[in-house]
Amino acid sequence: MIKRVTLSIFLVIVLLITACGGKEVVGPDNDVEMGDLVPSITILSSLPEANMVNYEMAQELVEELQKLGVDIKAEPTDFAVLLDRLYGEEGDYDAYTIGWSGRVERLDPDMFIHSINHSDNADPGGNNTNRYRNSAFDALADAQRQEMDINKRREYVFQAQQILAEDVPNITLYSRANVQVYDKERFDNVVNIPGEGLFNEWTPMWINPLTEDKILRVASNINLDTLNPLAAKSVYEWRNLRLIYDKLVRLSPEIEPIPWAATGWDVVNDTTIDIHLRDDMKFHDGVQVTAEDVKYTYELFIDRKVEYFASFLAPIDSIEITDENTVRFGLKYPYAPFITNTLTQIPILPKHIWENIDDPNEYANEKPIGSGPFIFENFRRGEELVVKTNKEYFEEIKIDGYIFNIFASPEGVLTALELHNIDMVSYDLVPAHIDLIKNNDGGKYNHLEMTEAQDIGFFYIGFNLDREPFNNKDFRIALSYLVDYDLALDVHLNGYGSRGGGGLVINAANEYWYNPAVPIYDTYDPERAKEILEEAGFTWDSNGKLRMPKE
Amino acid sequence: MLGFIMKRIFTMVIMILLVSTMIFFLFRTMPGDPTAFIVDPSIPKEARDQLLERYGLNDSLWKQYTIFLKDLVRLDFGNSFFYGRPVTVIIKDLIPATLILMFTAMLFAYIIGILGGAWMAWKRGTKLESFGITISLIFRSAPSFWVGLMMILIFAVRLKWFPGQGMRTSGYTGETFREIFLTLDFLKHLILPSIVAGLYFVATPLLIMRNSMLEVLSEDYIEMAHAKGLKESKILYRHAARNALLPVITAGALFIGSAMGGLVLIEYVFSWPGLGREIQRAVVRHDYPLAQGAFIIIASLVMFMNLVADVLYVILDPRISYK
Repeated sequence: MIKRVTLSIFLVIVLLITACGGKEVVGPDNDVEMGDLVPSITILSSLPEANMVNYEMAQELVEELQKLGVDIKAEPTDFAVLLDRLYGEEGDYDAYTIGWSGRVERLDPDMFIHSINHSDNADPGGNNTNRYRNSAFDALADAQRQEMDINKRREYVFQAQQILAEDVPNITLYSRANVQVYDKERFDNVVNIPGEGLFNEWTPMWINPLTEDKILRVASNINLDTLNPLAAKSVYEWRNLRLIYDKLVRLSPEIEPIPWAATGWDVVNDTTIDIHLRDDMKFHDGVQVTAEDVKYTYELFIDRKVEYFASFLAPIDSIEITDENTVRFGLKYPYAPFITNTLTQIPILPKHIWENIDDPNEYANEKPIGSGPFIFENFRRGEELVVKTNKEYFEEIKIDGYIFNIFASPEGVLTALELHNIDMVSYDLVPAHIDLIKNNDGGKYNHLEMTEAQDIGFFYIGFNLDREPFNNKDFRIALSYLVDYDLALDVHLNGYGSRGGGGLVINAANEYWYNPAVPIYDTYDPERAKEILEEAGFTWDSNGKLRMPKE
Repeated sequence: MLGFIMKRIFTMVIMILLVSTMIFFLFRTMPGDPTAFIVDPSIPKEARDQLLERYGLNDSLWKQYTIFLKDLVRLDFGNSFFYGRPVTVIIKDLIPATLILMFTAMLFAYIIGILGGAWMAWKRGTKLESFGITISLIFRSAPSFWVGLMMILIFAVRLKWFPGQGMRTSGYTGETFREIFLTLDFLKHLILPSIVAGLYFVATPLLIMRNSMLEVLSEDYIEMAHAKGLKESKILYRHAARNALLPVITAGALFIGSAMGGLVLIEYVFSWPGLGREIQRAVVRHDYPLAQGAFIIIASLVMFMNLVADVLYVILDPRISYK
């Protein structure tokens, strides 16, 4: 604040001196006529060991902008420090590189359209860290959130993508591909889902064993922390919890919501939704699943303020049991992601167990009892989770169970694959390992089948639109011509991924919601960037420095 | 003697308090928000603030420190931010695996180191001696993860003699300590990592033993033993080695602290579910309670082993006494 005051006093003095004819204070004559210098810029990028591609891409952009006479540098920043800067009260940053991971609930467009671009979230602490504010866009983002008719909603999402592509509030650099493998000699009929990969909620239910050994062995390189659904904080726990606990709705491999532990739902009106429960479900301890359990679970998650689901539960106003198998949800306002994001994520917990627990948030839940397709058997932290198939389940499952094996390093998993100790990986292979498996030296990976799915998440360079020069739309468009999208994909990612572009937040992998008709700024053309700047009134002074258009 | 031990324990307590204070402030000077690793940044700001509140990170540093000290006296390290479980429980789960691996490796290193070091001093100046020194130094200097990977490649992948990963065959369900650690399956899994760690550790006892042996061998009483016509092996191991052991013992006790650090990479390569791996992760995740707890326990262990070394001195060398 003080800085700003001194700065403005200084400016006033400078102006006074120039007005009085003190020409020697400023440079050559013609520079006086020009706009202000483009302020110096710092890009907070990633540490090379944390994300090599982001680090490199930031460096490339710095070089391009330096050629155009912009004073710019990249500052590789630790992830936690970067989040501090982006979400902190001060909001002190010019530009940054970061990414949104392709978690399953982000297949619903609400997160990438509303949460990260709506002006309501543009204040410090909000997810709109680009500080993008456009009332026409806001109207569409609100409309898609409130539209319960999925086709109409899609139309709004399409239009919103159009605006983002024109306004370029961020520049998407690339998306990764989820490259994974499984043992094709032991199993077939696997399901591969964008953003999810092979170990999604369908593969264990539908996979077909080809040998007498019907236990699926899944490798992970990430530790599981807890099996308490109220305390689980990462997608890795949820990938297992959703198989032990059941959910009212699941997203099909084609990303359509389908009733699962329910026979169906009725949208009574925009803010009232009835869910009809199946009547043939039992918890693993033999107790019938009832509407009471559903009501109890949702209220528990709301009462206990479970952070992981906070934004999906916030719209719920009331939960009533209207008949034996029907639960009526009343919403505070129309919220379209209720079916695709809320009902597809909240598990059904047994009331008769959880109501007797003093502090559910801290409960260890050493032996989870759910009503899902798999029954918990054993969990050793840092080693493995063992589950067996629920033979009473309403769907027929062909395997006898699965073991979720936790390895310390991807190298360990590679060795285990070679030794036939593992049937499937649950994480994305690193490029070096993809090449090793593809080269298949000595035929030792003959038994493996490699699968590829595009990630719906993306990595991007974001700007602080509250600051010059990023408040200038033409400058952002020019920037989108300075990013070498092919370099990112072909060189840095070895081709395993997809290209980025200006304002591209929903990519082609998310087939249902992606709008292919929108023209995107996604060509690398520094000459064109220069032209755009010239057309927009940017000039270069006698020192070759870029100056803002004169107001 | 008892008075000496009491005095040492008293200073140990003060040292632990000092170390804990340093660790406490060291972690809090690390830049970055610990909630970044606990929850996804996409959750609303209110929820993040709630978390900070729940973990007490909104309180003043002084208040946090006094709470930390109060809990420490009751041996309560708090709950891990990341796991949401008490730190003592997490460490209790992990420490047996690390200690078993460490002591097996140290036993291996010390048996070979002491016997080999004595023998090398005896064979001073021969090719065998320089060969022994070179080999031990190669294993000391080679990156332990590389040796580990090579061992896995040779013995687990090519020869298939031993398993190369984890602590036991997957799917095995044992509950008690006995069922988990006292099985043939566990021993098989223990062999490769403890050999790798042992080879990494062996240079220290070997070289110290050799040096102190050389000193002892030049003493008069050894010449006397020769003159008496005693058997060579008897002079070597009964008369000389016993007196040469003292520095090896102290070094060994001090070695334990660094040994735990040295195990981190080996635990990583062998997917060994131990403490080392978890400490590294806790620091990266800004999981203050877990990292603090683990470091304080390791520091206490080093101090305790120092005391053990001092007590062992008296037993091994009757000339030393503490008042």
